[in-house]
Amino acid sequence: MANADVPLSTDPLPGVLRAPAAIVVQWLPLGVVTALWELASGRVVDRAVLPSPVTVAGAIGDLIATGEVVPHLTVSLIRVAIGLGSSVAVGVALGVGMARSKPVEDFFDAFLTMTYPVPKTALVPLAILGLGVGTEATVSIVFLACLLPVVLNAYNAAGDVDRNLVWSARMMGTGERRVLWKVVVPATVPEIVTGIRQAIPIAFVALVSAELVASNRGIGHLILSAGQLGNYPRMFAAIVVISAVAYVAVRWFELLCDRVIAWT
Amino acid sequence: MTDGRVTVSNLKKVYGEADEGEFLSVVGPSGCGKSTLLYLIAGFLDPTSGTVAVDGEPIDGPGTDRGVVFQDYALFPWRTVEGNTTYGLEEAGVPESEREAIAERYIEMMDLDGFEEKYPEELSGGMRQRVSLARTLAYDPAILLMDEPFGALDRPLRESLQDHLLDIWRDLEKTVVFITHDVEEAVYLSERVLIMTRHPGTKKAMTEVDLDRSKGREAIVTSDAFTRTKNAVWRSLREETETGTEAR
Ligand SMILES: Nc1ncnc2c1ncn2[C@@H]1O[C@H](COP(=O)(O)OP(=O)(O)OP(=O)(O)O)[C@@H](O)[C@H]1O
Ligand SMILES: [Mg+2]
Repeated sequence: MANADVPLSTDPLPGVLRAPAAIVVQWLPLGVVTALWELASGRVVDRAVLPSPVTVAGAIGDLIATGEVVPHLTVSLIRVAIGLGSSVAVGVALGVGMARSKPVEDFFDAFLTMTYPVPKTALVPLAILGLGVGTEATVSIVFLACLLPVVLNAYNAAGDVDRNLVWSARMMGTGERRVLWKVVVPATVPEIVTGIRQAIPIAFVALVSAELVASNRGIGHLILSAGQLGNYPRMFAAIVVISAVAYVAVRWFELLCDRVIAWT
Repeated sequence: MTDGRVTVSNLKKVYGEADEGEFLSVVGPSGCGKSTLLYLIAGFLDPTSGTVAVDGEPIDGPGTDRGVVFQDYALFPWRTVEGNTTYGLEEAGVPESEREAIAERYIEMMDLDGFEEKYPEELSGGMRQRVSLARTLAYDPAILLMDEPFGALDRPLRESLQDHLLDIWRDLEKTVVFITHDVEEAVYLSERVLIMTRHPGTKKAMTEVDLDRSKGREAIVTSDAFTRTKNAVWRSLREETETGTEAR
């Protein structure tokens, strides 16, 4: 076979050490930050404001042991899933539509270009005004924040689909509309995936920002209420928990894609 | 049912006509518009002037009566060899068991058995070209429009597929419009050879190929008629490339 994956490495390390070395390199920045945090806590910044990592680890243990974090995390994850999921559905349709139809493109292009620089979290007060405090408001912020990376990736890729692929399907009897679903969308999958991959961290940022004010539940609310009570270990614990969850979500998605999309 | 007479008229100059069941080759300098001509017949492009007709009816876009084998294969990267080969049958509503049997026949003909589950990305250029051939043959269009379909293959494989194509053409009475830059291939395969001028290409000449094809490859390619026709086409083509160089 022509393109068999032959590992061509210029790595000077012997094979057995390569995997452990990669892990060390991967986690080193996090270790450095944690070490600096430990050093700063109580020396540079008051321990009451910046509790040490050990204290925060204890608070994380409490959050988990008491099960307190579970309902908040569940609510947050459901919101991310709904917001991100709907932004993928709408974003792919919009991106593909814009790429393949001039009127659709004209209609949305100026709108997207103008809304692009607006920080979506600045719309939280508006969302509360329109939808009240709760899931509707937070989900719509997550949806809006994730929409652009998904749309832009789908839009660019769908416009670049090899015309011969479209023609291949047309000659084999696929109608002009159906080609969108049979050819343009599958051909665009790698870029759609890139868009979703970019949107996942954005979803968590938007979620927490929105939940800080627009919700009485969720991790964002947990962070804010702990902060307001001056319980900083608990506040940091909630921040670390949501960061870890976001990281796991990204990795899980990457693994899922490797599994599901065999052809790239 | 399409009989398969292709008429191309007044695209700048009259290109000509491929009769129902004819094997017509097209040769011409690189960039003269051979692929473009094929895309016009396929209905992918609209001519700025003139008409393309099948069985006397002007065409209206692409149709399953015409099957293109693309110069750059144009396989669906998200489908396996088998998935690419069955696509046209799926779109035609052929039941799954039948689809697989038909696909398997052409996959075998193209010497691709064992690669059914591979994706195009995992194949060599020559293998992709054969998948592309299998895909187009599988849905059985009356007219085959082939754009240098054997260009990426080594000689033994090319010759074997040339003979397979001739069998298919004869048995299934297809009309074939076959683009190649290989004069020998054009003469060996076809009943007539259309020679195009350099860009923007128009019809330069139409050469009849009159060979006794009953005897097999060796007898054909060593015959006087074969050599004579080949040389005539070659000279005509050579004239085009030479005037091309002089003009520049
Ligand atoms: N009749 C024409 N008038 C003007 N431009 C043309 C005409 N036919 C083709 N072209 C243009 O010439 C270019 C080359 O055409 P095409 O790809 O069809 O050449 P080709 O003969 O297939 O070349 P190759 O042998 O290298 O594959 C294209 O950009 C095409 O749009
Ligand atoms: Mg060409």
